[in-house]
Amino acid sequence: MTSTAEIAEFLAHEAELLDDWRYRDWLGLLTDDVTYQVPVRIAKERDAGDGLSAEMFHLDEDLRSLELRVERIETGFAWAEDPPSRLRHFIANVRATPASDGGEEMAVRSNVLVYRARLDRPEHDLLSAERHDRLRRVEGGWRLARRRVLLDSTTVPTLNLSFLI
Amino acid sequence: MTGASATRGGEELLDLVAESLSRHELPAGIFNDPGLFELERERVFARSWIYLAHESEVPEPGDYVVRYIVDDPFVVVRGEDGEVRALLNQCRHKGMRICRSEAGNSSHFRCPYHGWTYRNDGDLIGVPAQREAYGDTLDKGSLGLAPLRVESYDGLLFATMSADVPDLADWLGDARWYLDLWTKRSPAGLEVVGPPQRWVVDADWKIVSENFTGDSYHTLMTHRSMVELGQAPGDPKYAMYGEQVHVPGRGHGLMLIGAPPQSPLPPFWGYPEAIRERARDSYPTADQFEVADNTRIMLGTIFPNLSIHNPIRRPHRHYDGHVPMLTFRTWNPLGAGRIEVFSWFLVERDADEEFKRLSRWSYLRSFGISGTFEQDDAEIWTLITRNAGTQVGRRLSINYEMGEKLEVDEEWPGPGVAQPATFSDASLRNFYARWLELMQAR
Repeated sequence: MTSTAEIAEFLAHEAELLDDWRYRDWLGLLTDDVTYQVPVRIAKERDAGDGLSAEMFHLDEDLRSLELRVERIETGFAWAEDPPSRLRHFIANVRATPASDGGEEMAVRSNVLVYRARLDRPEHDLLSAERHDRLRRVEGGWRLARRRVLLDSTTVPTLNLSFLI
Repeated sequence: MTGASATRGGEELLDLVAESLSRHELPAGIFNDPGLFELERERVFARSWIYLAHESEVPEPGDYVVRYIVDDPFVVVRGEDGEVRALLNQCRHKGMRICRSEAGNSSHFRCPYHGWTYRNDGDLIGVPAQREAYGDTLDKGSLGLAPLRVESYDGLLFATMSADVPDLADWLGDARWYLDLWTKRSPAGLEVVGPPQRWVVDADWKIVSENFTGDSYHTLMTHRSMVELGQAPGDPKYAMYGEQVHVPGRGHGLMLIGAPPQSPLPPFWGYPEAIRERARDSYPTADQFEVADNTRIMLGTIFPNLSIHNPIRRPHRHYDGHVPMLTFRTWNPLGAGRIEVFSWFLVERDADEEFKRLSRWSYLRSFGISGTFEQDDAEIWTLITRNAGTQVGRRLSINYEMGEKLEVDEEWPGPGVAQPATFSDASLRNFYARWLELMQAR
């Protein structure tokens, strides 16, 4: 029986890698078939659904494209994140349930607040979202197999998404 | 806006601009000045054709999207009669926004304040308790939602607040020949996929518009990371091989970048052969096909703030081959030194589904808010803008002399003024000449 605490611990560890810009290590937490999506949201009337687009995304990634983003930062020419943003991922309201298809996967929902401070600006950017994750049990722990980040913003209040949520 | 900023900006700064531009310079202050922005709002954005939407975003009667010109909101809606209108999103009664969602389908719009109700062609058709409230005095026929002039070029919907600007065809001028390379590539036309990404950047709209008119020079440094990773051609000067074109008197500018010498890049942006073959018949002239066939990257700005980018790309680094992408974007100013970006992905309507899927990845992973190219642009544009608002920095002269000595390419088959290399500020100078002309018209 997997406890929510065990899943929350995984998410906290993952967030630490993101906050510390240890993206190379973060890649090690992903399954080979990982998908990572941030759909575009629009404001719609209540009876027209949640406004999350099935067609358009802010990010729509797989392992190869995520690896490219990590390598890009390592080139030393990725101006958007060099100097790096100071990022803080706050994870809360973790809810984990066994995935309906059984097996070794957990469907995990959590809330995330990302604080972003850049250069010497006193201001900060905040992104709030719900994550819908799928975690897969492997030898020695958990791996992230799927993530959907459901931003609460329609118009995104930061100059770029040069980091992961 | 504050009184202090109004005195430092505006008309005074314009006199300096006129003098500077003749020396191929501009004062940095034009990129972050509240007084000047107030003039731009009146003299540029209220007197230009502004791109609002693509017809494919509102295909059915009742389909609507809400779009902006600066802060004025408009409902771009297809009426039951099939016509697309841009209606001011403001009730004629007490001024409330009658549409509060970003997109949808509706036969009418009902104001949530008192219930005045408008049909989707803008006509006022319902006033609650009309007889008790107004007797027989209310002239509903004169109280429809205020429409903008709207014209379409091959499905691109532009609108203007001005009754005086010439029609869209005249406004676009010789840029139409180049727009055709995108809009007429397929006889089926283009379609927008999904909603636009929207995000806010503390950057001046002109910095971004000018970049797309003719700044291939920044690729060397700004996008160096992608060159290092083999995601842009190995020759870091690749972006200079091609033509830079500008449309005098209109402000539009474009770059048509070919393949560096000895490059194995395929012709026609790397589009699938089926699309290339259809274009052969679909393009109005053989010259347009010839130019397109030699193009690998094509981008430009339609004055003032629509930019289009169509580069050869890969959906991921290990992909064997090429899948180009096409994006439209507007840089809608929100104030001095601040824009909201609307970034759309488009594709040939009759392309196969697999190509559409891959092309969307080529777009999402290189352009837009998270694009591995575009994220570095945003970093740079914000810091130019911040400097432009400072006491000393706003007085600095920004340099626009590149390409002064470049000859005009007389052999170029397209209209406009072409130079046989893209490392030139000619398109940028032309953009600002047009901007200044509008800004000086009282």
